[in-house]
Amino acid sequence: MILAHLALSNVRNYHTLDLDPEPGLNLFIGANAQGKSNLLEALSMLGTGKSFRAARDREIVREGVELAVMRGSAVTRSGNVELACSIAQTERGSRKTYTLNGHAVRYARYLGTLRVVTFVPSDLQLVTGPPSLRRGFLNAALAQDRSDYYRALAQYRTALAQKNAVLRAESVDAELLEIYEEQLIESGTTIVLARDHFVRELAVEAARAHGRFAAERERLDVAYAANAPYEAPTGDAVAAGLRAALRAQARTERVRRIALVGPHRDDLVLQLDARPLAAFGSQGQQRTAVLALKVAEYAVMERRADEAPLLLLDDVLSELDAERARAFLAGVGAFEQAFVTSALPIAGPLHPARTWNIRAARIEAVAC
Amino acid sequence: MPAPGSIVGPVAALINEFSKLPTIGPKTAARLVFYLLNRPRHESQMLADAIMEAKDRVRFCSICFALTEADPCTLCTDEQRDPAMLCVVAEAKDIFAIERTGAFRGRYHVLGGLISPMDGVGPAELHVKELVERVGSTATAEILIATNPNAEGEATALYLARLLQPLGSLVTRLAYGLPIGGDLDYADETTLARALEGRRSM
Repeated sequence: MILAHLALSNVRNYHTLDLDPEPGLNLFIGANAQGKSNLLEALSMLGTGKSFRAARDREIVREGVELAVMRGSAVTRSGNVELACSIAQTERGSRKTYTLNGHAVRYARYLGTLRVVTFVPSDLQLVTGPPSLRRGFLNAALAQDRSDYYRALAQYRTALAQKNAVLRAESVDAELLEIYEEQLIESGTTIVLARDHFVRELAVEAARAHGRFAAERERLDVAYAANAPYEAPTGDAVAAGLRAALRAQARTERVRRIALVGPHRDDLVLQLDARPLAAFGSQGQQRTAVLALKVAEYAVMERRADEAPLLLLDDVLSELDAERARAFLAGVGAFEQAFVTSALPIAGPLHPARTWNIRAARIEAVAC
Repeated sequence: MPAPGSIVGPVAALINEFSKLPTIGPKTAARLVFYLLNRPRHESQMLADAIMEAKDRVRFCSICFALTEADPCTLCTDEQRDPAMLCVVAEAKDIFAIERTGAFRGRYHVLGGLISPMDGVGPAELHVKELVERVGSTATAEILIATNPNAEGEATALYLARLLQPLGSLVTRLAYGLPIGGDLDYADETTLARALEGRRSM
């Protein structure tokens, strides 16, 4: 898909912005604190309703105003779509609303219309960082892919918070505990199944991409490590696995007063030639694996939607050496549109369709 | 000393009182206060009287916890109503919604909220004990649980079902489905999926 037009109003340091990006690679060059990351954050918000860095939505609303609006015109396989994500800052906190072609829609309906794959410097920790980063990686891709995944995730989080509250109470109500665990099993099964299927596809693509990147003949293995094991990737088997694990850990959970079982403790296992990458890999090997994962994410998202998502690269190509940067873009291959930011002109042949300068929240095309 | 231009005295006090109300923030509160101050005195008098009148005369029914002037309430004393049918709702206002349908002729029980441990609301904070006692002491054929179809409403309904089923009454739950006069393609997937699960033969 192609984003033909982007309009921002009161988003971070942008008072107003109207941008007509080109198909192909759009390269945004600017010094620090001029608005590069803010632009990519806005693009990611427009697609997913979530920021890749702000903890709170109100951080995105420009200081001193009450309404931030991100609008886009996208050319997709199923026609032209006008989409908008607004954040209203009120006395009672911030509220997000979404519209598609001018009609207000729910988040679950909005999500997945403009699909994005983001790659930001913090993603470079994907191999060595905590499991929450890898779960976030899976969630970002799956929530855009399937609205039932997003719903299950939201239900799971609520049930988990309730269960933890029951476990922390002075006397634990066993009936309530069971009710919330049933809810956790129901939504958890949807989550685990979706992750299982996704990681199977991801593993194939990641191994393929890695094979192209790695100079040596190393093999990257990506596997899904579900917290609660199951015999087969079917709904019944996953639910039975969750139920058995909950039973086995029930006493420990009561003693430690926290929920220890379920997909909120899932992880990905990353191995290079059968050795754990985080412990044994060199920094270069870990970085190459991250690139392979990101290329694989892009490939799976593209195949599942039968449409190329937008590629958003915030200041990562400059973190990579010229060879890896080139290999990454070649790996992504047939992207239809990419937004790439950098503080410095990037070495090597990047072939941008257009280069833009960002200065103090103003974006101007560089004459070519 | 307050900064020049800041609101002080009785106006500030009234804004403060309004902003304690649900869904009213300080700005809305100020709007309401300035509106009232611009209107004739008797309008404010009527508002104040109405609030005090309701507060003094309306209380919770000691049987079903609905809002009432007389205790027990007319719903609990109405002989035309079937005492063997009991409808459990979260809030007193939910009774009005069900009464508007005219399709229910039993009695009610108001829980006073929904179970949500993360918000500090457990069964002990609601009128659950009173419900169990009521079902135990009167012949109840059916208990209809009419809580909202959201996470808290579901958990509360499940909890009550486990508690009440051993007492021998039939425990039912409001059906899920499509809004009447609605369009299939406007229904969200969850609602439609629930409507499919709850389909019935005709």
